[in-house]
Amino acid sequence: MADVVDAAGEPIPTSSVLMAAAKHIEINCMPENVEFLKCKKKDPNPEKCLDKGRQATRCALGLLKDLYQRCKEPMEGYVGCMYYHTNEFDLCRKQQQAFEKACPLE
Amino acid sequence: MTESVIRNKPGMASVKDMPILQDGPPPGGFAPVRYARRIPNKGPSAMAIFLAAFGAFSYGMYEVGKGNKIRRALKEEKFAARRAILPVLQAEEDERFVKEWKKYLEYEAEVMKDVPGWKVGENVYNSGRWMPPATGELRPEVW
Repeated sequence: MADVVDAAGEPIPTSSVLMAAAKHIEINCMPENVEFLKCKKKDPNPEKCLDKGRQATRCALGLLKDLYQRCKEPMEGYVGCMYYHTNEFDLCRKQQQAFEKACPLE
Repeated sequence: MTESVIRNKPGMASVKDMPILQDGPPPGGFAPVRYARRIPNKGPSAMAIFLAAFGAFSYGMYEVGKGNKIRRALKEEKFAARRAILPVLQAEEDERFVKEWKKYLEYEAEVMKDVPGWKVGENVYNSGRWMPPATGELRPEVW
């Protein structure tokens, strides 16, 4: 269950994968996320914010795929550790360092 | 008879001259026994004890504060990660909800198609804001 991508190469957005990549998503997908949240704040109707939601999802999934292609091994290790420890950051520091060294947060 | 054998003094005339055999103190008396209290009055003063306790307490609270800072940083990290992935999750749920809502609206239209004056489709509150449907169940197929 701790896979990053499925058989076709598409990233699976499970909680451990998303939490492992959360810092990257925060930095790289900030504009789309902020736009989506602003739209939601203006009108909580789901039908009105579908397109911005799709942009945010596309950004996040694309980022996951890109991270997986750039550093497969550290990311798989980090995601596996997160899955084992139920998304507890403090118990996965070693894998986090390895992941952020391979795919730096910029 | 045995008393005169034990306490015999050679040359005594009668039993009344026997020397006295008593259990008594040794000659010169016993050594003096100290019974007075001698609790020493040295050691830390009250102010010194108070300052030491206050110092230990302050040091302990300082360490507690340091630990709290570290724990707050860890919590902040966890919450920042949750905030970062919130839009993805909300967008997924919105898609699923919109699909289900459309199915429900079609069902409502079909059920109420013979009722006159039923503004089919939306029939929610008058405030103008969108409110989530109040069926008491968030996802009926799950729970």
